[in-house]
Amino acid sequence: MSNSDIALNRENGRKSIWNFLASELKPKGEIFTPFNIISIPVIILGIILIVIRFAKGLGAVTNLTQEVPWGLWIGFDVVTGVAFAGGAYVITFLVYILNMKQYQSIVRVTVLNGFLAYVFYAGALLLDLGKPWNVVNPIIGNSFGVSSVLFLVAWHFLLYMLAQLIEFSPAIAEWIGARRARRILSAMTIGAVIFGITLSTLHQSGLGALYLMAREKIHPLWYSEFIPILFFVSSIFAGLSMVIFEGSISYKVFSNQISDKDHRSHHDIIHGLAKICTITLYVYFFLQVLTFVHGKNWEYLNTRMGHWYLVEIFGFVLLPMILFFYSYRKYNILLVKVASIITMIGIIINRLNVTVIGFKWDAVNHYYPTWKEIVVTLTVIFIEIWIFRWVINRLPVLRESPSWAKSH
Amino acid sequence: MNINRRNFLKALGITGVAMGTGKKLNAASVKKGSDKEFYGILYDSTRCAGCQGCEWECALEHGLPDPDLEDIPEVGKKRETNENRRSVINVYSTSKGDVYVKNQCMHCNQPACAAACLTQAMHKTEEGPVIWRDEKCMGCRYCMVSCPYDVPKFEYFSSNPNIQKCDMCWDRVKEGKLPACVEGCPAEALTFGLRRDLLAEARRRINENPDLYYNHIYGEHEAGGTGFLYLSPVPFEAIGFNTSVMNKPYPELTKGFLYSVPSIFVLWPAILLGIHKATSNKNNQAEEENE
Amino acid sequence: MGNKPFTGFTRISIMGKKSLTKKYIKMDEFSYTNIFDTKGIEYLIVIGFLILIIPFWRALNKPVKVKARYKEVLGVLTPEVLRIPQGLHYCKNHLWTHLKKSGNAHVGLNDLFLHITGEIELINFRNPGERVRKGDLIAKVSQGGKELRIPSPISGEITDVNFQLRKTPNILNEDPYGKGWIYIIKPHDWNNDTHNCVTSEKAREWSENELQRFKDFVAIALKKHSPESTMLVLQEGGELIKYPLAGMPAEVWKEFQECFLSH
Repeated sequence: MSNSDIALNRENGRKSIWNFLASELKPKGEIFTPFNIISIPVIILGIILIVIRFAKGLGAVTNLTQEVPWGLWIGFDVVTGVAFAGGAYVITFLVYILNMKQYQSIVRVTVLNGFLAYVFYAGALLLDLGKPWNVVNPIIGNSFGVSSVLFLVAWHFLLYMLAQLIEFSPAIAEWIGARRARRILSAMTIGAVIFGITLSTLHQSGLGALYLMAREKIHPLWYSEFIPILFFVSSIFAGLSMVIFEGSISYKVFSNQISDKDHRSHHDIIHGLAKICTITLYVYFFLQVLTFVHGKNWEYLNTRMGHWYLVEIFGFVLLPMILFFYSYRKYNILLVKVASIITMIGIIINRLNVTVIGFKWDAVNHYYPTWKEIVVTLTVIFIEIWIFRWVINRLPVLRESPSWAKSH
Repeated sequence: MNINRRNFLKALGITGVAMGTGKKLNAASVKKGSDKEFYGILYDSTRCAGCQGCEWECALEHGLPDPDLEDIPEVGKKRETNENRRSVINVYSTSKGDVYVKNQCMHCNQPACAAACLTQAMHKTEEGPVIWRDEKCMGCRYCMVSCPYDVPKFEYFSSNPNIQKCDMCWDRVKEGKLPACVEGCPAEALTFGLRRDLLAEARRRINENPDLYYNHIYGEHEAGGTGFLYLSPVPFEAIGFNTSVMNKPYPELTKGFLYSVPSIFVLWPAILLGIHKATSNKNNQAEEENE
Repeated sequence: MGNKPFTGFTRISIMGKKSLTKKYIKMDEFSYTNIFDTKGIEYLIVIGFLILIIPFWRALNKPVKVKARYKEVLGVLTPEVLRIPQGLHYCKNHLWTHLKKSGNAHVGLNDLFLHITGEIELINFRNPGERVRKGDLIAKVSQGGKELRIPSPISGEITDVNFQLRKTPNILNEDPYGKGWIYIIKPHDWNNDTHNCVTSEKAREWSENELQRFKDFVAIALKKHSPESTMLVLQEGGELIKYPLAGMPAEVWKEFQECFLSH
């Protein structure tokens, strides 16, 4: 239960760290769970496809064209994935800035999720680059394209991963028993949190700003100068919905690690997050209305894309807002989870509408992803879940910290 | 057939240069040093006969495959540039008969691609041409997303993919030579010179032949002004031009966002720190009252 | 040749192109264009948003009717619910103590205390062999960061500590008088220490009084610390719900320790 049985005995010195880490690499738990059975073949197939992609070029694996250079990997893996990772900055904002201690118990797992999400989606981005070995160019200083929004987004990704690593590092220190390191790292938390929230604001909106120059290429119902603001606000409830969704799964799968009182308080946490989602969705709905009016897009409503737009706004923004409102008032946890799933689908729809569906919507040969692109996307997600599971089973993320760390 | 045609065109081209007319405005060579002005190319549809000489010269100059003899301009078929050709001729059936149009990079004054490129691989030179630099490029294709004309083309089937795009024969221009297409055009449809001079020349042609030309120079204001300027006998929508391109530079669309970044970097930490202090004081006070 | 319709664009649908051209009408310098023409409606929408947010916020934060919030909670805390076995001494701080034939006294928390606090974690940190005096701190009770101090009801030497509580904490609530004992103490001054404790018939009456005192305490404490929780704790008949202290903030627990338990 406590970490004393796997904690490092510091008196043994350096050699023990390697033994310890080596022992930690061994798998714990069953090999043939349903998730493993599905994910392992997909991962193997995905790795093969990735090798083909590097050997024969992007065209061999994707449906990208000269008119549609960014497809599923950018539109879904990077843009949507990062929106879902927004839970980390919202939860750290609630706990460390607003001092709402009731959310303290989910900070670590949310930050871990956020960190893994950014690492893997930045990794997915590397798969999409034509010359990935040149990715160091905008970093090492001989080619700073400061006029580019992508430059800003890339740098923010790097810095934000660093901030999240610092926020999460006390858990690593507790795992290997490094007491002094843990003290130092804990003191850096508030700085990392403030830095992280600032970075998040800018790169969540920055992902939207990427598309600002594609003025005539994105359908007018989704193109406006307010894309950055809309992306930022929607990342708040996207992240929280993911926290609710992923938390429900984790608390079931890893329930043996979680104390009884944490189990009970989890419902209160979900309940509280539902309230925040309600308000943010309300605000976002009005922002969408304002954007629509400002863009004078009335004549587009009665087209196929217009109907799809109405489905997105009313079915996946207004409806979940009402569901969150009702489930908050009635303390109906199941309804909160349903609302969060609808919200997440809405975010996927919205991001894909801007990046893929609405992008060059009028092209003769419309882009759709190949099965290979989908398999590679799933591979990235599955590997991320594997790493997540590995960390949860070994580090004090969901379980209690070792007693020497509790005094914090 | 192949070789004869090419030699024939080459001969024509050389003759043209030798005659020294209408291809280069002013004998002024590329100036070095400060006070550089943009160079550009003026293309006059009324003079173009659709011989595709420019396509052959361009392919020859840049080591690209020869144009496919089966693939000639046809009404109703829109030929696009791709990773194997940087410049194409199209033909449109209009009220004034068949009109030919040459399509390639517009070399905008403030290019969206150069603003979008995070490694500065896409670069607007001081002399005017927008070039692509291999050693910096990451292959992210953000330039392709941003270009309102969909100009940059990507080698999707290569393991070391390049971007293919007209660069106004930048290497030749630096040495004071004409771009290959300009030099190779037998009909003098293409003219190379300072953008300022080209605009004046285009104005002059329109004023002197108002029946021949449609009263608009495409590229004068489009996308904030482009290095490639077009004259046409008919309205530009009729010959496949994108007329919803706006009249200001495309990088201005991201200017607002990028300009606000430093402000947010300063404001947010201050505000967050303030809220953090305020809420932690409230907690401490509550605890003290209960002691 | 006449005006032939243009057939030039096959790659882009006519619909898309036309609709875009209508939207992005170029501003020429020859006729009137108003770039602020939607501002009026936008301001109206903003005013609508601000007005609507008032009832929205209020509806969201209305104090929740107890029926809905505590739907899953079965019980009401009344004196009949409490287990008060005979033969034990019920002491201050809601501890019980029972002198066994062996001469050692078992010590534990009584049912009223457990019903008030709910799911708690008990930390009995004393070790066998330690000497305690009446009033010395022998255990701590915690729930999500809130704590209560448990002083010893008698003086003596601790002979045994119930380590079972750490492994299966729920036996504390299930069997507080039996398997849920906390310490076994060899008393030094049993009669004097238990002089003020309550036994037998008086125990039930005493428990009812304590319950009433607790209701009063709740009313006052909540008014002071979190007015909106008042509705959460009292049902229509004025009865307490089960585990009333469980949902309350740390300030109320402090007051509980100082004002209620120490009497």
